[in-house]
Amino acid sequence: MIGLEFALLGFVFACALATAVLRDVLGSIIAFAAYSLGIAIIWVVLQAPDVGLTEAAVGAGVTTVLFLLTITKTVRPSGERTLERLDLPALGVSVVLVGVLATTLGALPPIGGAETPVATSEVTGYYLEHAYKEAGVKNAVTAVLAAYRGFDTLGEAVVVYSAGVGILVVLQREVFA
Amino acid sequence: MSDAHPTEADAEAEPTERGAYVESPIIMATVRVVAPFVFTFGLFIMFHGADSSGGGFQGGVIVGTVILMLGIAFGIEPTREWVDPSTLVAIVGVGTLGFVSIGVATVALGGAFLDYPAFGIHHASKYGIELVELLIGVIVAGIITGLFFAIAGGMEGGESA
Repeated sequence: MIGLEFALLGFVFACALATAVLRDVLGSIIAFAAYSLGIAIIWVVLQAPDVGLTEAAVGAGVTTVLFLLTITKTVRPSGERTLERLDLPALGVSVVLVGVLATTLGALPPIGGAETPVATSEVTGYYLEHAYKEAGVKNAVTAVLAAYRGFDTLGEAVVVYSAGVGILVVLQREVFA
Repeated sequence: MSDAHPTEADAEAEPTERGAYVESPIIMATVRVVAPFVFTFGLFIMFHGADSSGGGFQGGVIVGTVILMLGIAFGIEPTREWVDPSTLVAIVGVGTLGFVSIGVATVALGGAFLDYPAFGIHHASKYGIELVELLIGVIVAGIITGLFFAIAGGMEGGESA
């Protein structure tokens, strides 16, 4: 299991690096899709299949298609080089940012630990105990999403709706055309 | 986009325009076979989200992907005409209104917001959750398809895009 996780980590890291340094945008997009797929598998390994499904469908699927459509107006870069020249100040800022974020890693509870705040929370216990009886569905995640926290989910759906309306407003169209 | 020749014949030094649509019999045949299964899988994820992983958001994206596949295989313009952009806007609006009105209806019937048992039917909660998942799926699938058409429209529309 540990071997699999390290292999996935290496794969995702390599894909992220390729996305950043490849000069051809098409290559970058393909590397980015592979990165999303790797992240989706990591979610499944961490036993969060709902999130993994979303990442695979949106990150690896739809986003890639939308990116591909977007770059049809661009041109392939001329010349022999396949890699972008590194922007050293930007690289420095990124490394510092990652370093600052990495200091929080020690405070995270171990994966699947019994003492994590989520597992010991009263609310979690209530959901797991009552979800099937009260909501009538076997997937506690769905029970929380659509029943207990239905108002939040309505908000999420409205965000998606607003994204569409926003695009229509920006493009000054009345339909998606 | 007919002047694009995405082949190895293009010299590296000359910037080449990327073609948008290639009429490939392989892609068309594959999409024709795969599309119904993907559509069914999307509906399954949407409805079965109540009892296994998945739900309206994921299922909606997968259903939206079917339209994207059709667009890539048979050309975006014919697909857009087939779907009809104004229907798309109507569908998304109906989905959002439906979700809100379910919530308001439960309040009107004396329950809390989205408190499904207020409907007073057998298994109200289960059916309510599945109806809400379906409406979320309709919203998401409509918006995904809409974004696809909007971006593709910018591709052909020139300056005004």
